[in-house]
Amino acid sequence: MDFLELLNFYVIPGIVIGSIYALGAVGITLIFAILRYAHLAHGDLATLGAFVALAVVSGLGVSPLAALPVAIVATAAVAVGIDKVFYEHLRERPKIVTVMASLGIALMIRSVVQVFWGVDTQTYVRGIVRPEDYFGLRIRDREIYTVLAMLLLVGALQVFLTRSKWGKAMRAMSDNPNLALLSGIDNKKVVVLTWVIAGGLCAAAGFFLGLNTELKSLMGWSMLLPVFAAAILGGVGRVEGAVLGGLIVGVAEELSVLWIPSEYKAGMAFVILLFMLLVRPTGLLRGKVL
Amino acid sequence: MKTRFLALAGGLMAATALASVPAKADVKIGLIGGVSGPIAAMAPAMIDASQLAVQQVNEQGGIGDGEKLVAVVGDSACNPQNGTDAATKAVNIEGVAGIVGPHCSGAVLAAAGSVTIPAGIVMITPSGTSPEITSLEDKGTVFRTVPSDDYQGRALARTMKDMGYEKVAVAYLNNDYGTGLANAFKAEFVDELKGEITQFAAHEDAKASYRSNLAELAKGGADTLVIFDYGDGSGLTMLRQALENGFFEKFVGGDGMKSEAIISELGAENLGSFVSSSPVGAKSKSLDVFNEAFKGIGGDPDAIFATTSYDAAFLMALALEKAGGKKEGVAAAMLEVSNGEGEPILPGEWKKAKELIAAGSAIDYKGAAGDHNFDANGDVPGTYALWEVGSDGFELVTEMK
Repeated sequence: MDFLELLNFYVIPGIVIGSIYALGAVGITLIFAILRYAHLAHGDLATLGAFVALAVVSGLGVSPLAALPVAIVATAAVAVGIDKVFYEHLRERPKIVTVMASLGIALMIRSVVQVFWGVDTQTYVRGIVRPEDYFGLRIRDREIYTVLAMLLLVGALQVFLTRSKWGKAMRAMSDNPNLALLSGIDNKKVVVLTWVIAGGLCAAAGFFLGLNTELKSLMGWSMLLPVFAAAILGGVGRVEGAVLGGLIVGVAEELSVLWIPSEYKAGMAFVILLFMLLVRPTGLLRGKVL
Repeated sequence: MKTRFLALAGGLMAATALASVPAKADVKIGLIGGVSGPIAAMAPAMIDASQLAVQQVNEQGGIGDGEKLVAVVGDSACNPQNGTDAATKAVNIEGVAGIVGPHCSGAVLAAAGSVTIPAGIVMITPSGTSPEITSLEDKGTVFRTVPSDDYQGRALARTMKDMGYEKVAVAYLNNDYGTGLANAFKAEFVDELKGEITQFAAHEDAKASYRSNLAELAKGGADTLVIFDYGDGSGLTMLRQALENGFFEKFVGGDGMKSEAIISELGAENLGSFVSSSPVGAKSKSLDVFNEAFKGIGGDPDAIFATTSYDAAFLMALALEKAGGKKEGVAAAMLEVSNGEGEPILPGEWKKAKELIAAGSAIDYKGAAGDHNFDANGDVPGTYALWEVGSDGFELVTEMK
């Protein structure tokens, strides 16, 4: 097998899928860092974002990329709403209660998607798109958009977290919520901000997953395990770690086919997750939380 | 499709509404199908066809003393866990006298093993095609109106060989359906016909990329990819990525790939080199009668598994009538109402069947999909056809032997 083939059929798809995982993993890691629980509804929230974009595409007839901002805003609003209606009341209870509640939310979101959009597999653009040839590399435009958008969104988030007042407030609350409260940081606002960011990133993850493959009501749920693996691999609480973790999990899944039977490809995320938890639970970049 | 889904949702609600105030004498059957999940595009027509049988039964006198036959719809999502959940709910909460479904082999095997066999409830599936179902230790309670994939895999292998396919790669979904069909195909194509399978690999459902799988599959130099998967799930993703990247020139699918989703999402213009097999009803008077009736309620009689779904529900009703509406005698009655002996009963002839059963005469149901003379394992033989994608949906290429 030559080098180009390796890049074309294993590494590039891995990077594209990895970017999608990364978008999801950043949200997971952010929620874990600030609110301290694993959010199991993350995958289905991504599904919702993808289908909102579909509604915009089929309703207004715009191009899928133009629908992305709408989906991000709508999903962010839904995420904040879910927090207000459900999670806020569980804030003082043990965290495991919220984790279980988020599982229930996942089922609710999925059912809503199924009632509104049906259970059939759908796509943004009908038909197939053959890849372009860049010096032997076979890449489709949408794959370039996916990776670029991921870098852009995560880059903006990183700047926001390190430079802006509210970003610093978020990090402060992640380090020590009580101390942050005492120094005058409005914890409630930080929570809302967290959900806005996590919800928006979720929508982007779902959208790009749908753009590169198809939209199904279970698409987000089946992405949940690799996304968690990515967040833990990178170090929970580290945004750049989530990106690194996402890319590694994505590429590892694709490359795994070279050595192990392809039916075990889906197990790669499991293997990475277990291995990291056993050997280095803090993650590659030494996460701040776990 | 959206209206059909709404109709289905409406039907579901109606069924629950009926179920919540059961007239004492109602006889309930479970209608368990892959409403969500990888065969979601196929399920509505299948459920509608089964509901048609229920409707005809109720219009023509119901079960026993005019008791209503009530179908309770459940979602198996085409996987073992949900299949078991749906069957448990149907048996323990709804108290059904029999189950029509589930639609997918994995769900059938799981639901039968952990729910219906222990409970002594008869299950008749219209589309669970895995060869594994034949060898199930079911005390005679599991039937199907669709032939085993052992036949389909072999028939597909013979037809492909006749059409000149020599060197193929096989990709199959790693579940009971995909594995069973792929192994039957391999046994005939390689061992009997001396064809060549360059790569033979399973894959998991619901991954976003199958390009690495496809690259592996393409390594042996085959120009044809045989996919045993569902056209609403990973089969679609795989076919798309294979087409986009030009891994293979020709594509062949099993019955699971004969899904409208493939045409609506990939476009007929891209599917010129795609063929798929599926079981068909042999031409018969029964089939014509069914086609008329199904068109009458707005259904498409060519929809995959519509005939078998109708037959499964009608047979269940006949067996229940024969058994006096009690679940205990249904298994024995199922064999008696369709064993090739007695007065022939065509689809929709409920009144006639009811009178004959009341008089104690033997009846023999001639179904839309075939005669359904069950063998000792509750299996039926079948006929298949190969389909290609035309401008107007799937079009018949050839009958398969």
